[in-house]
Amino acid sequence: YNFTYPFSSSISTANGSALVKIGNTTVICGIKGELTCPPSDAPNKGYIVPNVDLPPLCSSRFRPGPPSEQAQVASQFIADVIDSSNVIQKEDLCIEKGKLSWVLYCDIICLDYDGNLLDTCVVALLAALKNARLPEVTINKETDLAEVNTDKLHHLNVSKHPVSSSFSIFDNTIVIVDPTVEEETLSTAMMTVVTDEDDRLCMLHKPGGSALSGEKLQDCISRAVTRHREVSKLIEKVMDSFEPDK
Amino acid sequence: MPVDTKRVRGPEESQSPLLFLPSIAKKSVAAERGRQDGRRRGQADVRPVFARCGLVSQAKGSAYIEAGNTKLICSVFGPREAERKDEAGASSGRLLCDLRFAPFSCPNRGAWIPSSEDKDTAQGLLEALRPGVRLHRYPRAQIEVNVLVLENDGSALAHAITCASMALADAGIEMYDVVLGCSLRLDGNSFLLDPTLQEETAGEPGAQGSVTVALLPSLNQVSGLQADGDMREDTLAEAVRACMEGCHKLYPVIQRALLRAVHKRASPSES
Amino acid sequence: MAAVQVCEAEKVYIMHGVRDDLRVDGRGCEDYRHMEIETDVVSNTDGSARVKLGYTDVLVGIKAEIGKPKPAAPDEGYLEFFVDCSANATPEFEGRGGEELGSELSCTLYKVFNNVNSLELRALCIAPREHCWVLYVDVLLLQCDGNLFDAISIAIKAALFNTRIPKVTITEGEEGGAELELSDDPYDCVRLNVENVPCIVTLCKIGHRHVVDATLQEKACSVAGLLVSVTHKGTITCVRKVGGGSLEPESIFEMTETGKRVGKALHAPLMKLLRDEEAQGKQRQKVGFLG
Repeated sequence: YNFTYPFSSSISTANGSALVKIGNTTVICGIKGELTCPPSDAPNKGYIVPNVDLPPLCSSRFRPGPPSEQAQVASQFIADVIDSSNVIQKEDLCIEKGKLSWVLYCDIICLDYDGNLLDTCVVALLAALKNARLPEVTINKETDLAEVNTDKLHHLNVSKHPVSSSFSIFDNTIVIVDPTVEEETLSTAMMTVVTDEDDRLCMLHKPGGSALSGEKLQDCISRAVTRHREVSKLIEKVMDSFEPDK
Repeated sequence: MPVDTKRVRGPEESQSPLLFLPSIAKKSVAAERGRQDGRRRGQADVRPVFARCGLVSQAKGSAYIEAGNTKLICSVFGPREAERKDEAGASSGRLLCDLRFAPFSCPNRGAWIPSSEDKDTAQGLLEALRPGVRLHRYPRAQIEVNVLVLENDGSALAHAITCASMALADAGIEMYDVVLGCSLRLDGNSFLLDPTLQEETAGEPGAQGSVTVALLPSLNQVSGLQADGDMREDTLAEAVRACMEGCHKLYPVIQRALLRAVHKRASPSES
Repeated sequence: MAAVQVCEAEKVYIMHGVRDDLRVDGRGCEDYRHMEIETDVVSNTDGSARVKLGYTDVLVGIKAEIGKPKPAAPDEGYLEFFVDCSANATPEFEGRGGEELGSELSCTLYKVFNNVNSLELRALCIAPREHCWVLYVDVLLLQCDGNLFDAISIAIKAALFNTRIPKVTITEGEEGGAELELSDDPYDCVRLNVENVPCIVTLCKIGHRHVVDATLQEKACSVAGLLVSVTHKGTITCVRKVGGGSLEPESIFEMTETGKRVGKALHAPLMKLLRDEEAQGKQRQKVGFLG
């Protein structure tokens, strides 16, 4: 295992933010809440809009312009993790049914790309969500307009703590945890397992590559569960150390 | 607006909660004698700067700078073979600048698609950096400078210039001198050096102006100058001088940061 | 930008000339080239002007349309700039070649006009938050021989002077909503006050001196220049360093001083010329594009 350092960073213009470093890979996640109409098919829900960006800044392999395929895959992956693990109950983001709800824009930007992007992104997202505070919003009965009170800030109710563990697979024989960029390019297949604190499997992502036997897969999942404990302990420790001074 | 199919899309429209704030009578900066963060107006008081080199492992050179709440990261790639081949660029290298504001960097959320402000700032950055780099030493090559503004609390362009030149130096690109940036806000009869975002936007219209200067400190050459707003010639001259003074205050900090990076790089090879 | 090949000997010749205040075409360092201005050249615009400055030739057309005011300034109209570098000007602009220059030029124009005093934007408002006039300023480069900024800014000023916006009256509609009514009378129109519209003066540093209105050859000799936009009162509204080189602080001060002086002197004859031309009215012989 490479060592993980999550930092709660203080981007004051964002509602919540976190900078996470795993090995050399550095990712920053900023969360901004905005107000919107809830979706028509689910009037009691809000939105969470995650986007992963791999700017040309983080590695020479990325070009400026629209997001690369890898960035699109990563964005979709994070969106799926949020949906399947219920990190945040989307019902919590509703302010007034059918009228007003929060939309959380979770913008994840990679600052240094050295492999294992997905794990880092998930940790960053989780840390930023835990750190995020939204102002209180009430609807004025008379004018029917929203009123925002920036003096009262609320933490989000983070119900689940998903942690992802990525593995690099070399021909169904060797499995490496937390691969660097070099290991990733040399490996024959990649796999990412996302688990939550109840040791349940939220997601399994294996985009192509060489085949993997059932035993190995089981092995990976159990390793992911152990890793989950370590990572969440670490996040908790860091979050606690930041709390008192706030 | 074209639909962005390559990103996870949110709702069509959303408003920033700041729009719904009960309107408080905005305190004019001009009313106060000092400035909110305790600096004095009309003085060459720059915010304390934290600067570091070599953070991005994948880049040839990189730098991070933090001044007050303004935070920027910059990485430099190259020199590598130029993508665009035209006769004009054959004898000297090309410098490419890309500058982005992170969506969460401003009080109001920005879009992913680069706005004209991004491009304009990138252009200003390029103009300021180009005189400092010995581009003729890199024929048929291009050097890429990527800047990401993590948090914008005023004077983004000025700090982007400083940060980018540090990253260039860290990448070992030959330069005549580091380029330092400093900006200033004219507010009535006095000026505010290294303004915060609040100072940049507040104040009554009329006697407003902003000046950004890029300086090559040891050659005492101005490599970039942008000034907007109504001003007389002598106020402009005064403003430029104040900015230059601000740059000189920055110089030792940047030198120390660069030295540190060199030491760090040199020590593993010795041991 | 369109580049010309200037050999070393030629450069030395030009630089020595500039040192002695004598330029290749016989001008002094602070003289403009021969300038021709004609307004109202394109009949289907609301205002237009064509400026010839030596061999540099630009055409500006202004179209007024009704739009919605920007939320940040609900009681003001606004201007939109677009610079088209046609392949007519130089073959380099063919295809996408001119785009970069075009966007750079329009970016600068936004900056120059982004000033409360340059144009009475409030006069462009019809109904706050609802309707306002949007002036689309289209710049077409017909030929370029250096000093585009100056020629464009003069052309814009002339075109704005020439612009006539029809009067609009707001009447209360049947269902209570406001209705806009345009005046049919072509003489019943609003004119813009262009007194404060700044002109851009570009100064090129050649050797130890600087020149205004540089031709392409002279531009090739200079490493850096300064763009100064000046109003008729002599206030400086915008300064930009252009070109790849750097400047000494002292020369910047000198250059802004010259820019201010030259720019201020440029306004009076320009306004006089525009007024004269208008006074001639219908009798004026149109020179057109063949002139």
